Formats: sequence, structure tokens, C-alpha cells
Amino acid sequence: MIWHIFKKDWKLIWVFVAVVAALQAITELVLAKARASDDSPMLTLLAQNLPTGTIFAMMFLIAAIVLLDAIPGLRQDWLIRPILRRDLLLEKLLFTVIAVEGPIFLANLALGLASGFSFRSVLLVSTERVLYLLFFLVLPIFAFASVTKNMTEAFVFACGVAFLIGVLVTIADYVNTSANKTLTTTLYTGIGWIGELIRFAIVLVAAVVILRFQYFFRKTFLSRALVVLFGFLVFVSLFLSWKPAFAIEERLSRDPAAARNLSVAFNPEVGRYQPPSGLNNSAYAGEGRDADVFLPLRVSGIHAGDTLVTDHSEVRLFGSGGKLVYHGSIIGIEADKAGMAATGEDRHQKITLPASLYKQLQGQPVQAKLDYSFTLFGLSKSYAIPAIGGDERMPGIGWCQTELNDAGTAVTMKCMAAEKAPTCGGVFLENPSRGTQNPEGFGCYPEYTPYSARPLDDAFTRFVIRVSFRDPHGLAKYPVDGPQLPQSRVVIRIYEPLAHFTRSVVIPQLKLGDWQPR
Amino acid sequence: MIQVQDLHKKFRRFEALRGLSFSVPQGSAFALIGANGAGKTTIIKILTNILVPTSGRATLLGVDSRKLSPRELVQIGYVSENQDMPPRLTVAEYVDYLRPFYPTWDRDLERETLRQLRLPSERKIGDLSHGMRLKMALLCALPYRPKLLLLDEPFSGLDPLVRDEFMEGLLRQAGEMTILVSSHELGEIDGVATDIGFLDEGKLLFQESMADLNGRFREVRVTLADEAAPPAQVPKDWVGLQALGNVLTFVETSFDEKRFGEFVRSQLGEVRAIDSQPMSLRSIFTTLARAARDNAAA
Repeated sequence: MIWHIFKKDWKLIWVFVAVVAALQAITELVLAKARASDDSPMLTLLAQNLPTGTIFAMMFLIAAIVLLDAIPGLRQDWLIRPILRRDLLLEKLLFTVIAVEGPIFLANLALGLASGFSFRSVLLVSTERVLYLLFFLVLPIFAFASVTKNMTEAFVFACGVAFLIGVLVTIADYVNTSANKTLTTTLYTGIGWIGELIRFAIVLVAAVVILRFQYFFRKTFLSRALVVLFGFLVFVSLFLSWKPAFAIEERLSRDPAAARNLSVAFNPEVGRYQPPSGLNNSAYAGEGRDADVFLPLRVSGIHAGDTLVTDHSEVRLFGSGGKLVYHGSIIGIEADKAGMAATGEDRHQKITLPASLYKQLQGQPVQAKLDYSFTLFGLSKSYAIPAIGGDERMPGIGWCQTELNDAGTAVTMKCMAAEKAPTCGGVFLENPSRGTQNPEGFGCYPEYTPYSARPLDDAFTRFVIRVSFRDPHGLAKYPVDGPQLPQSRVVIRIYEPLAHFTRSVVIPQLKLGDWQPR
Repeated sequence: MIQVQDLHKKFRRFEALRGLSFSVPQGSAFALIGANGAGKTTIIKILTNILVPTSGRATLLGVDSRKLSPRELVQIGYVSENQDMPPRLTVAEYVDYLRPFYPTWDRDLERETLRQLRLPSERKIGDLSHGMRLKMALLCALPYRPKLLLLDEPFSGLDPLVRDEFMEGLLRQAGEMTILVSSHELGEIDGVATDIGFLDEGKLLFQESMADLNGRFREVRVTLADEAAPPAQVPKDWVGLQALGNVLTFVETSFDEKRFGEFVRSQLGEVRAIDSQPMSLRSIFTTLARAARDNAAA
């Protein structure tokens, strides 16, 4: 009877399904256009807002599908019909997946194949996105809608939940600020995917439990309580502790031995930090709300060509008697491949403390413990593409095209990939005939998700890279400039994570006042 | 066909049903009578497993109401004034949708019922009037020849013409069906019900066949030789005793033609005349309702 109920629902709601499908198709096209070109402000505006609107439309559609045969209530005709609850639930799930996710899946499939990607890779990213949407959107909204009688009740209930989330987020933000940002330590980091998977698991369990209670036992009060409970669990999962999460990531390291010789140590010989000239030093001295101290460190044991990224770092300061006087998150050190000497590289670790605490501790001996979670990146692939009119397909990067920008100051490389995009790389212009090259532009965004990262609004990765060759102000001169472009090429170097590991630096005794900037 | 035992239903602090027990014999047309808020709809919702009882038990077709499955639901018809059907489907579309769920669906009967009820098959359910929606509910309940038909206030708000069409449609197909009908309008079930249960504030005051009920209730007028006065000990079967001059009136609730005259004389002394008249269902209902209220107040 699943197909029979499906046909009834289709008759009732096909207009809404068609409108949402059209909205989804328009959004996909706008995203495809906007991400391939950053020239049109209108496209940019649409690309920023349409996906949110589409998500809301999808949420309403899911709720509307479920509410065609609402569970709570005493007046629905279907309650006294010989309809198997299992059939009804399966039909609703099937209808939701087909009506809400079907158009997206098809649009992604068509767009990917039209862009020349292999059927296998397009099928993979399209399926990945559909699965992501299933856990992120379809199942939570489906379960949520099943505990409401009608759209009005669903809307009011959703407003209540949104208010509750707002209150919890505000409280959490306050608590996290009070704890010097040591609580929400995995969110928006490279290992955020572990928390995300935990949330998906919670959503899956919640959906199974709530839908079972609703469709088979019509326990609406209990199910509503479970919605709140599981919602709270999702909220708590945002505070996933760093240590156990990073321990999982460590075990997933591709080459743990690569970081075996890497060490970080306190190196007082380097002396105090010298801020760039022109900066007001009073900002460091605790005259505002905060005070900064800079501890000299030596990083050694990085192979040439590798690069080190700090995923997370914390400092603990212990006063007399070993009492913890400060615990806070800090911005870590980074040591890139450029200029890394064989003996190591000196860095200053900035520590920002509340001014009142600094004034209290500056003359006293304290013990400092710095805890680092690092990822070592190694060169993985290197590609070259003509600087002008290039059109290449490169594994690990995708399909890229190059052109001169309108201002005539940079080469623009637009790329689209049917896989996870590189998150760490360098790019520069090179003229092989003259043997010259411009300085490398380097960027690293730690993202270790084993699946395509957050494909909520797009299955494909699209990015634009600008490689400058002319300074419009005339202050900088590039070895490879405009006239050489026809003979030049853009070189792209991709770095992949080799090892995730932790290091600690313990400084038994120091005076914070000694490490103020000069 | 239906057995209800010590049924309780609480909505937070409000107790809608308070230890209700009754049974509906197979083949009967049982009318559940009671004022608004007496608990009639609650019972029917419990019987159809739309509501779950707080305690007690109800069985239909030999199955606990909480365990009703499609196997039993194919044998149960349900018509209610508060029945939400998909408003954007037409009458024909919804009937087409329901048909495959019922193995015993009779298409000839469907066509005949549709014609009798004069329903516009191409009109959307949302565009039907209240009366037409009730007829629509009946159309969706009859063609599969249910063994049990539950009618919750089916005549509420119907004009006489529609009511007659509804009744005609129902009675023609009744056959061997067992019917449970709830109503607060006595006139509506007159001529339909074979048995009756009177519900007041969640309690069943009595359950009886219509034949017995009509037989045992009499409006009695006794003319005495002297000034009428109630006996010192009023017999428990006499309800609503009133004296006016030398005339005493009351309702006899256990009328027995052979012994009645003798019994009245033994209670009231010299009697000039005794006049006992059968009562309409409305009068019986009113008498019982007053007695129940007086007992509750006492």
C-alpha cells in the first residue's frame, strides 16, 4: 500500500513539490554561475541568500508531507482506516526523500556530468550530499513534524525550540568566554567532523526512537519530550572535548612517523619579541582589558617541504604551590616550509591574559604549560596550468580554467571539483623559459573530514584563486609580470596531512613581565 | 460485539469517564444518549483506539481496543461530525483512495450509496457543506459492509431533509450490522435504536432495550378521594412525585400492568382513578436526567 498512499500524497502536494524543486534548480544554477565568477554583485547576493531560502522551503515541504497524515490529534480520518502504520511511515520517508532530495540529486548529477566529471565521481558526491541532507535536514525535521498536529503548531513549536536554542547558545557563549574559550574546542576546527558524526548518530537514534513512538504508539507527549532531550544532546555534543576527539584523529594519521622527530621547546636565547615598527607597545602592556606576553619557542625536526599547522593550543599557568591560576585557549604557532632551517625555527608564542591577572602575576615566578595539537602537512601533488586560457583537469584539484582579471593585475584560476577540495596549498606564477618565478602564495585551512566537507548547499567544490603579477600602486615588482604571461604558467602545490600529533612545552619557572615585547 | 468494563478516562484533572461499563449485543443498534460533555465522543474515540483509556478495558470484535489492527479496522465503520478527510481531494478521489484498503469493498453498493446520498463526486471535500461531509463519511463507511458501525453525533447540525437522506442511506444498508450511535438528540434515535444507554457526566445511568424501556416507564395520574399527599415512604420506582389538589402525578419506572393498581392503592389509600400513559423517549430521558441530578445534589 506504500505506492497507493504515495499517489494520494502526490495528488495533494505536487504543486508544493514542484515549486520547491524549481527553487532548488534555480539555486543550483545560481551557485554554479556565482562560484564560477565573482564579478556580478547580483549573483553574489543571490548565492548568499537563495540557499537559505531553499532550505526553509525544504523544511516546510518536509513538514507538509508529514502533516498530510498527522499523528497527534483525534479527528484524522486515517486513524480509523486499516492502514499499516509501518506502510504509512515508509511512504512518508520515501516521499520526503524523493520530493525533497530527488531534484537536488538529479540537478547535481546533470550538472556534474555536463561539467565533464566521471559518472562515478558525480554519483559519489551527489549521493554524499543527499545523505548529508538526510541527516542534517530531512530526519530531524521529519521527526519534529511528526510530533505536531498542523503547520501552525509546527511553526509555534519551532519558534519555541529556536528560542530555547538561542538561550542555550547565549548561556554557552557566556560560559565559554568565562572559561577563556576552552569549552567549544572542536567546533569549526579540522576535527569538527568527529562532533558532526556524533550529532548525525544522535539524529539517527532520535529519529528512530521518536518515529517509532509516534507512528506505532502515538505517544506524542513522550515524543515531544524526546525531541527536547535529543535536541539538548545535540547541543551538548557541540562541547565535545578536544583531547578524545584529537586522539581519534591521531589514530587516523596517514604517516605518524613523519612527525617523530618534531619538537617544540622554550628557547630564552631568542630574547623578547620585537613588534613591527610603528605599533603602539602600550597595547601589549595591560593598559587595556588584556595584556600580551610572547614566549620564545624553537620548533625543530620539520623536513624541508613540509609545513606545520596548529590545530589547537592551550596554556596553563601555575602559581606558587602549583595552583592553577590561568587556563585559556591561545592562537598557536605555525611553521611553514619557507625558511625552515635545518636546526629549527624560532617563533614567539603570543599569550593573551586578562590585564588584572597579568598585573598580579608579572613579577612572580610562574610555571607555564603549553599544550599543542599539531598537523604536519607534506607536499602531495604539483600541477602547472598555462597562465592565460588554461583549461585542465587535475586529480585532487578538479577542473580549472585561467584568465586575466578585468583590472589586468592578476591571473584568476576558477576551479570546480567533484570531490573534497584541497585544504592546504601554495600557488605561484612561473616563467620556465626565463627560469623566473613569483613568490608563492600559501594558504592552509585545516579540514580533515574524511567525506566531502559540509556539502549542505553544494555537492561540488568551487573556488577561485587570484595570482597577482602587478601591484596597482607600483610598490611591488614581480619577476613574472604581464608581458610574460603568454609564456608563463600557474604552478599549484597541494599539501596533504601526514600526521596529527600533540606536543607539550613545560617552562618550570618564568616571570611574565620578562616576556613583554621590547 | 462491544464490551466496556470499568472504563476511566482522565484529561489531566478532568475525569471524562468514571467507571463506565456496558455491552452492545451483536446485531443491535445501541444508542448512547447524553448531554454535551457526558463522555459519548470519548467512549467512541477509545473504542477506535484514537484515545487510550486511563484504566479499564474496551473490546470490539473480541479484541482489546488498544490492540486494534487493520484486520479489525476493515470490519469497523466510523462516522463522526468531527472527521477530517483530505480537503483537497474530490469525493471520488478519496473513495478511490480508500477502496483498496478494504477487501470486502462492494463497488455496486458504493455507487448505490453515492446515488442515495446525492453526493457530488467531483467536488472537493473541502468545499462540501457540514451535512455533505457527514454523508461523505457515511459513504466511506458503508461500501465495505462493516460488521460494526460507530456513529458519533451523526445528526448534529443536519437539516431534516439531509437527516432523512442520511438515515435512509444508513438503514437500507444496515443488514446484520451492529450499530453504536451517540447523540444528545433523542428524537434522532427514535425508530433507529434497539437498545439505549444513558450517559451522565461520565457514568452510565442505565442500559436497556428500547422495548423494555417503553414497557416499564409510565406517566401516572392518580385521583384521590381527599387532598393528595405523598406517602410517608415514597416507593423507589416513583420519580418526580407532585401533588395538586386531589391529584398526584409521578413517573413509574417499573410498570407492571397486573400489579400496578393494587400497589398504588396499598400506598395511597382511597383512589378514585388511576391513569397511566406510555411515555415518549424524550420524557423518559428528561425524567431520568432530573432524577440523576436530584440524586447527585442529595
